[in-house]
Amino acid sequence: MEKDPDSAALLSRIRVDAPGAFDEFVARFGGRIYAFGMKFCGEREDAKDVLQDTLLTAYRSMRELEHPEAMISWLYRVAANACLMKRRKGKCAPEREISLDELLPGPGEDARVQIPDPAALPHDDAVRAEIKKGVWKAIGDLPPAYRIVLVMRDMEQLSTQEVADALSLEISAVKMRLHRARLMVRKTLEASYAADHRAKGRE
Amino acid sequence: MTDRHVHGGPECLALFAKLSEYLDGELNPTACAGVDGHMADCGRCREFLESLRRAVAHVASMEAPELPENFKRDILSAYARARGSS
Repeated sequence: MEKDPDSAALLSRIRVDAPGAFDEFVARFGGRIYAFGMKFCGEREDAKDVLQDTLLTAYRSMRELEHPEAMISWLYRVAANACLMKRRKGKCAPEREISLDELLPGPGEDARVQIPDPAALPHDDAVRAEIKKGVWKAIGDLPPAYRIVLVMRDMEQLSTQEVADALSLEISAVKMRLHRARLMVRKTLEASYAADHRAKGRE
Repeated sequence: MTDRHVHGGPECLALFAKLSEYLDGELNPTACAGVDGHMADCGRCREFLESLRRAVAHVASMEAPELPENFKRDILSAYARARGSS
């Protein structure tokens, strides 16, 4: 969990709703929560709603926090809830857990790795943009209960424990959903590149 | 590297469930050594692991746009309104 002296000072100001405390709160965390909303929702206006709901709700409820280092995890907890509400249902539970069998490589899947290595991408901006578009789509296609875990762990780099706390899940459930989310992204990307490969082969 | 077994058996399936923990360094040393040993023998599992590693790296490299200034202003206004009406 993050620790820094500025958090203690800010939390003291938030507790008494000192003049300028909300502005400071927005300046400090607004960009991070907006980025989180964008990664989960994929739409500017949705991310803006998530940001607004999160900051207004968290600012009020944060006065009860005892430890300043808990501010970030509290914010993510409120933001994750806002994200899931945005995608309706407001539930953290998927309609059904996806079985690993569904994510195994198919018998016809080419054994060669088709997904380009992110560390060795071509310099062509158009090619890079196309790759990013495909990755965003693969993330956006995930069921919300899996996507929220992937965004928190692999994009926001929160620990498994922090994600478990924010989403009120067991550690084992976080790991299970993260693994399935990654497998789904892999499958989508692999299928997309394999299709490109076949199309190029026909040209 | 020469594979010493046919891919797709129970060993491969058991390993399939552990690959994220393996990538994240969360397996205990014994389990980790077990995966290492299997990977040395199974080319298809090596390929699969590499494709999963790349997928995770792509996800981790994605960046969201910065918070637009006008969004920030709108939120400060919403807060001021809420405060004024309470």
